[in-house]
Amino acid sequence: MSAGLLTRRILLGFVALYGVAFLLCAVAGTHLSPYSPVEQHLDLRFLPPLSPGHLLGTDDFGRDVLSRIMYGARPALLVGVIAVGIALAAGMLIGLAAGLTGGIVDSTLMLLMDSVLSFPTVLLAITMVAVLGYGVSQVMLAVGIIYSPVFARIVRAETLSLSAETYVIASRGLGTRGVRTVFLHIIPNMIPRLLVQGSATFALAVVIEASLSFLGLGTQPPEASWGLMLKDARTYLLQAPWLALFPGIAIGLTVFSFNYLGDILAEHFGIERTRGLAGTSANLLGRRKG
Amino acid sequence: MKRLTHSLIVMLFLAVIAASAYAGGAQEQKGRMLQVVLSGNPDTLDPQKTSGTLTFQVDRSIYDTLVEPDENGRIIGDLAQSWEVSSDNLTWTFHLRHGVKFQNGDQFTSRDVKATLDRARDPATASPNASEYASIKSIDTPDEYTVVLHLSQPYAPLLATLASGWSAILPASLIAKNHDFAADPVGTGPFIFRKWVRDNEIVLARNPDYWMAGHPLLAGVVFRIITEHAIQVQGLISGQIDIDYLLNKEDLGLLTKGSGATYKTELTSLVLVLAMNDSRPPFDNLKVRQAINYAIDKQSALDVAYGGGKVIGTFMDYSNPYYEELSNLYPYDPAKARQLLASAGVSVDRPLDLVLPQNYGPHVKAGEIYQQMLEKVGLKVKIRLVDWSTWLSSVYKGGNYDMTVIGHTGKLDPNGRLSGFGTGTSYVHWNDPEVAALITQARQTVGFDARKAIYDKVLRIMGEQVPMVFVGTPYRYIGLRTNVSGFRIDPSLDTFDFRYTELK
Repeated sequence: MSAGLLTRRILLGFVALYGVAFLLCAVAGTHLSPYSPVEQHLDLRFLPPLSPGHLLGTDDFGRDVLSRIMYGARPALLVGVIAVGIALAAGMLIGLAAGLTGGIVDSTLMLLMDSVLSFPTVLLAITMVAVLGYGVSQVMLAVGIIYSPVFARIVRAETLSLSAETYVIASRGLGTRGVRTVFLHIIPNMIPRLLVQGSATFALAVVIEASLSFLGLGTQPPEASWGLMLKDARTYLLQAPWLALFPGIAIGLTVFSFNYLGDILAEHFGIERTRGLAGTSANLLGRRKG
Repeated sequence: MKRLTHSLIVMLFLAVIAASAYAGGAQEQKGRMLQVVLSGNPDTLDPQKTSGTLTFQVDRSIYDTLVEPDENGRIIGDLAQSWEVSSDNLTWTFHLRHGVKFQNGDQFTSRDVKATLDRARDPATASPNASEYASIKSIDTPDEYTVVLHLSQPYAPLLATLASGWSAILPASLIAKNHDFAADPVGTGPFIFRKWVRDNEIVLARNPDYWMAGHPLLAGVVFRIITEHAIQVQGLISGQIDIDYLLNKEDLGLLTKGSGATYKTELTSLVLVLAMNDSRPPFDNLKVRQAINYAIDKQSALDVAYGGGKVIGTFMDYSNPYYEELSNLYPYDPAKARQLLASAGVSVDRPLDLVLPQNYGPHVKAGEIYQQMLEKVGLKVKIRLVDWSTWLSSVYKGGNYDMTVIGHTGKLDPNGRLSGFGTGTSYVHWNDPEVAALITQARQTVGFDARKAIYDKVLRIMGEQVPMVFVGTPYRYIGLRTNVSGFRIDPSLDTFDFRYTELK
């Protein structure tokens, strides 16, 4: 076994393990965590990591950092899944409409999508949350809207290229109706590509949730969210650096894992990842697929 | 020919390097300038067009006022050397200091005082503090060094108003020329405005003609505009900053012996509160307000969220001469709180809306602590973070909240703090006609003892009726390089007095 292959196996195992842990925390964090994530112990503030009973220490309210990290997986997962769901649903509708209709509808819809894409994502998210109001559900909606053009473009491109495939033309020639063709041949065949993009977008959604919470616009205190933890930690960067370290690691690992998942899926389906839509872990590792 | 071009280019480079080295040398000479943290950009440097503390923190060194607070908050003469009040309290005569010069060369006279106060009262100026001058009916200048203010009704806070930053005296000649004081302030103060680079620094140089003999002692003051707390502290430790008056308690451990920085602890003049919307159920019920007061462990909240301080029991800061010690009225007693809530018979089915101003970290933190304390006695509380402009419009003006956490800044005169309370018009919508009448009476009564007797009654009623939870007055930790001495912060105003400051 070559060294490269071994590294990849180890990485794969690690990402899989982390993924399971992440899901477990997000779904059952309140039952698994050693303490309540919001319970304050004003007599136990700023305990350093490895303190008895507090593996990752305590924060400025004496809350257990480990419990808060575990609990923070929930808003990350929720925002990731729901935002990607919204983006996928909206993107699918728009992409199909554009790809199947063509002409003026196509160019209008794509112009609209491009105009959304032309805004910096975080700035657009801040604007939307400012309009919709602070909170996790608003963040989900905002992130969903922001990333729908990415999916719309993929769906449109796939629709166009799949429509030209011989088997689709053949099926049409045999008398299959338009809508049936779409559900039978076109949508199933674009799923791999959407899965790859979905996992990458999930990673980005986690980052945006953390950014907005860091700015005070996402998850509201006293609930736990990694971005919110970073925000609180900022004041004590010199005195209690671990408060910033652990949520930072959690965000980093989650983003890396979902990007890596995207890479694996892409490789599995034989799809070349488009650079620029999302930073891929392949780039981070300096690995290039031919 | 080519050679010549090359050597010319080389010479040009050398000239540039030499010039920058020379500039560096000039920088070195200014090395005695005091570097002070300013936590943000002032919105303007025109003292009559803002109520922002940042403006007055800078303007205090550029301007003088007729009178000023001394270290204990007592009002002493500044540009006015003495003053008399008529027996009906309606005529105030100020005798001005002779031989004072404005930084543009003008001689300071009674004309400037009249022009300044007229500008402050002029509706066209739109001063946010204009109401403080409302009792002035007319201003006479019988001679160059006498100013007489005629009032329409007795107004005891007048001296405090004249000692505040918004009564800084501007030169009459520039007022007449409609000078842009917002960007180019000109006064009689100890330092002269040099430049303001937004988001970076405000530079003031020593005024050699300052009226106080031998002062100021510094060559100048540079306000470094740094918004990020960690960077302010880092600057102090590394020696790039001489004074950072905004230290957190948690920072103090970093000021070790080797760091060359030290600190001093002072009480601020803030009154920190957990405010309730008293016209809304359940807060219209006294028992509920009392229960909430029993539920809050004030000392813990002060220690954790605000870096320590003194617990208070009424609406006056701890070190104020008018302070009344009533902190034992509602001690921390969760059991009693639960019992009172039960006997009040109010069922709070909806979660209480606790609104926090998200740009003020300590208030947000205190809010999280209060939430937990209130839930411990059986109340449901939901936190809602809002930005500052929303807080001002929706909470402070709109009254759209159940509870909120805020600090009331100090005022030189107790009327500034208390005015409007009891009338139902303040943001807590608390109605108590007796208190409102007493506050009006105290405003028209001159003399400390007579006023104190009235304010004692006001503060006792407020302490008993608890329209808010009066939590405490926090400490302030002023970080200083060890070679800095003689630095003062004006009580109640939070402005800096650098006239006695020295760099060794």
